Amino acid sequence: MIQERKTSKEISGMGHSMKRKEDGRFIQGKGHYVDDIKLDGMLYMDIVRSPYAYAKIKSIKIEKAMATPGVVAVVTGRDLEKYNLHWMPTLMSDTQMVLPTDTVMYQAQEVAAVIATSRYAAADGVEAVEVEYEVMKPLMDPYKALAPGAPLLRPDKKDKKDNHIWHWEAGDRKKTDKLFETAEVKVKEEIYLPRIHVASIETCGCVASYDKVNNYLTMYMTTQAPHAIRTVIALVAGHVGLTEEKIRVISPDIGGGFGGKVPVYPGYVIAIAVSFLVGKPVKWIEDRSENLQADSFARDYHITAEMAGTKAGKIQGIRFKVLADHGYTDAAANPSKYPLGLFSICTGSYDYDTAFIESDAVYTNKPPGGVAYRCSFRVTEAVHAIERITDKFAATIGKDPAAFRMQNFIKKEQFPWKSPTGWTYDSGDYAPALQKAMDVIGYDKMRKEQVEKRKKGEIMGIGICSFTEIVGAGPSKDFDILGIKMFDSAEIRVHPTGKALARFGTKSQGQGHETTYAQIIAEELGIPAENIQVEEGDTDTAPYGLGTYASRSTPTAGAAAAMASRKLRDKARKIAAYLLEVSEADLEWVPGKFFVKGAPEKSKTIQELVFAAYTNHPPGMEAGFEATHYYDPPNLTFPFGSYICVVDIDKETCEIKVRRFVAIDDCGNIINPMIVQGQVHGGLTQGIAPAMYEELIYDDEGNILNGTLMDYLVPTAVESPSWETGHTCTPSPHHPIGAKGVGESPTVGAPPAIANAIIDALSPYGITHMDIPITPYKVWKALKEKGVVKAI
Amino acid sequence: MKTTIEKEFQIPEPMAKVWEYLSDPTKIVACVPGASITEKIDDRNYRGNVTSSFGPVKASYNGEITITELDANLHKMTLIGKGVDSKGKGSADMTMNGILSEVSRATAVKFTMEISITGMLAQFGARLIKDVSDQLLNQFVANFKDRLAGKEVDNTMSGTSMVGSVLKSTIGGIFGGHKN
Repeated sequence: MIQERKTSKEISGMGHSMKRKEDGRFIQGKGHYVDDIKLDGMLYMDIVRSPYAYAKIKSIKIEKAMATPGVVAVVTGRDLEKYNLHWMPTLMSDTQMVLPTDTVMYQAQEVAAVIATSRYAAADGVEAVEVEYEVMKPLMDPYKALAPGAPLLRPDKKDKKDNHIWHWEAGDRKKTDKLFETAEVKVKEEIYLPRIHVASIETCGCVASYDKVNNYLTMYMTTQAPHAIRTVIALVAGHVGLTEEKIRVISPDIGGGFGGKVPVYPGYVIAIAVSFLVGKPVKWIEDRSENLQADSFARDYHITAEMAGTKAGKIQGIRFKVLADHGYTDAAANPSKYPLGLFSICTGSYDYDTAFIESDAVYTNKPPGGVAYRCSFRVTEAVHAIERITDKFAATIGKDPAAFRMQNFIKKEQFPWKSPTGWTYDSGDYAPALQKAMDVIGYDKMRKEQVEKRKKGEIMGIGICSFTEIVGAGPSKDFDILGIKMFDSAEIRVHPTGKALARFGTKSQGQGHETTYAQIIAEELGIPAENIQVEEGDTDTAPYGLGTYASRSTPTAGAAAAMASRKLRDKARKIAAYLLEVSEADLEWVPGKFFVKGAPEKSKTIQELVFAAYTNHPPGMEAGFEATHYYDPPNLTFPFGSYICVVDIDKETCEIKVRRFVAIDDCGNIINPMIVQGQVHGGLTQGIAPAMYEELIYDDEGNILNGTLMDYLVPTAVESPSWETGHTCTPSPHHPIGAKGVGESPTVGAPPAIANAIIDALSPYGITHMDIPITPYKVWKALKEKGVVKAI
Repeated sequence: MKTTIEKEFQIPEPMAKVWEYLSDPTKIVACVPGASITEKIDDRNYRGNVTSSFGPVKASYNGEITITELDANLHKMTLIGKGVDSKGKGSADMTMNGILSEVSRATAVKFTMEISITGMLAQFGARLIKDVSDQLLNQFVANFKDRLAGKEVDNTMSGTSMVGSVLKSTIGGIFGGHKN
């Protein structure tokens, strides 16, 4: 289970905790973000937003705004309509307004854009735009929106007679229903995963720069998927002459993406339209509240989770039903075939063969989206549901949740394991991960302490989550976005002196690609990682790829890096055979050089071989030392882990304190242990966020009640406990370097561990479920209902 | 978002005099902090505006005031105000009930104010609206008493002073201090 390092520290291939190459500029404040871009003659855009969740636009008066000093233009939906740019397609083949012509559908929706010579003038212009609305009663509750006779929110869709968007199923309904008719034990829970926001430090923004003379658009923007965006722009604007070869998308440094920088927001499109019309660069940068209120949300799934099994504790099947609130349009970022994302991984880490999932999506007067916030297309929702219902089942039959999990885990020898919803788990060894977490935290001791504390009336809980993720989308037979298959790419150019430039179709937002990709190439080619320059994010130079999200970079582009390196190593072998005058079969590779079998003194280093590729290449061989690989993964990767959390709850204040949190992750072979640890720390902190703090709250009128960071509680170092991390290592059998994704595991695994701990703590008082975020107020209310605490 | 506030107090004046003030919108509105009547449409309908600061957001509402109930026998009046912020930040609706009853050598006044706010103010000011409204009503009551006592009333509003007094009352609340 321990990963062996094959390269020296000088080469720093896989398994070395090499310091991040990108941090030099970040810690010196020299990162280059979109708002750092300043171009000659650049104009600034600010957006007029709707104060109402649902209203007809009666008039938009722009005279006063146009008279504001510095304002050069005000753009409305009617202006865009002339170019047929007032609507755009979403990634889920729905339609979304760029600017409305008649109706606003959610509070903070874009209504008009003001273009000015400075950011301040643009903001003044926004204040001066006069919009007259006729306010209508919004539909905020997805169940009410689905009820018969509910007002139709999308009359623009001619075939729509209600607010229902789609229905999707996985698994076997008949077999599952039959199981639930006969099973000894059945448990059920209504679980709501509320709307939350990725709240990345950097908001979204762009500089659209259209060169009229050359008919060429350069789009600097905060995007996790630059190539996909270039194609989308071409699809939206091709009819006005902006075809794909005339578009260059550059994604500079990004201050956090987490899925929120995958979608195309109206602001981007308006900036492009204005730059196209006026022939000047236009900068648009969201402010914090715009980001929180109008950008794509995450979660908002209403889940009915059921589990069936035996009294002896054998899980036999699950039945889940999901209602997905998508706001006024389905602008989720899922692979085309999977409107519910990869939620059907919700069968979890357990061995049974019966499952049925059904889901419906609905329109409401909320902002659109449904991005996977640091998770692979709805895996967070799936894991929360299965891990909560697993705990409830264990509690119902009176079994310890750890023993219950151990009893039901899929065993190592059962892999590759075919799940009842159709996935093939590549590899796993679940019991040792849970055992390791139990050993680290001292599980039995903790349970004894809990018994003692309960005798004294103190509230302490222990919660477990043993998750299985599904990451690395994905195999082209199943995965595409707008028809583009979800492969990814690497292009490696090694210069004559043996130093390399490597480019990728992905885009780091803080994941450390400049370091980890270099380490993969170092592992395969023996060129020191330090000498490999990694570039991403410029569509004019990087090979085509679908970008970075859903923990897909290592499984796809990382694999492409290994495969391209291997092509180069094959070429190096040919050159070595030529230079050493032996046959290729007589050569052996150690990281960094080829030597003749049995005569290790006869060798050529990779640097010598690369130099020869430019100065003395074998006759008949192409000169140069470059390779490109487009990697289409044969399967997804299935990282897993077991997390255990211990909480103490103050009986007076109901404050919840996470005393211990142990996270044992298994992401296969590790490229850089330090970066993985950093990812796990950050992800766990983003895991306590929805578990204890974050929720976007709307009132019945459609007002968002916490649209600022004063009210939307993002945890900081103050709220974070001291994370205890560890690993087991079960390599992916199909991935070239045996790696799996890891960046999202902690965000996925932490919330159910915390929720299970809190509910375990409160179980002596008859509390069996609470929806996250579990706040002191919720705990106080629940305990008050049970008569445990009194009203103050 | 909605909030309801109630205030009860006594004024050492005869009920007839108090009713004279309560039933006259021009006199009542002159006691509402930041409010003024700009136009009388008829006896029951007026146009006016209210300017108020809620935390970081200053809102100026232009709208209509309608007296929906004016019962001289029961000494009860209901006033509905609807306003839209002039800078497009949203709208506010208010229903205010006032009812008088006689107590020994004084008049008991009971005010109920139901405020519903939509738009930016509801987002930014959610934490403050209840307290700000409470302060507004306190100020209104003080102005109302002063006017009845024949004193000059300045009902212009300063945002900072309001936030200051709200903070004082909120923090006072947190630390168990007495609210005014």
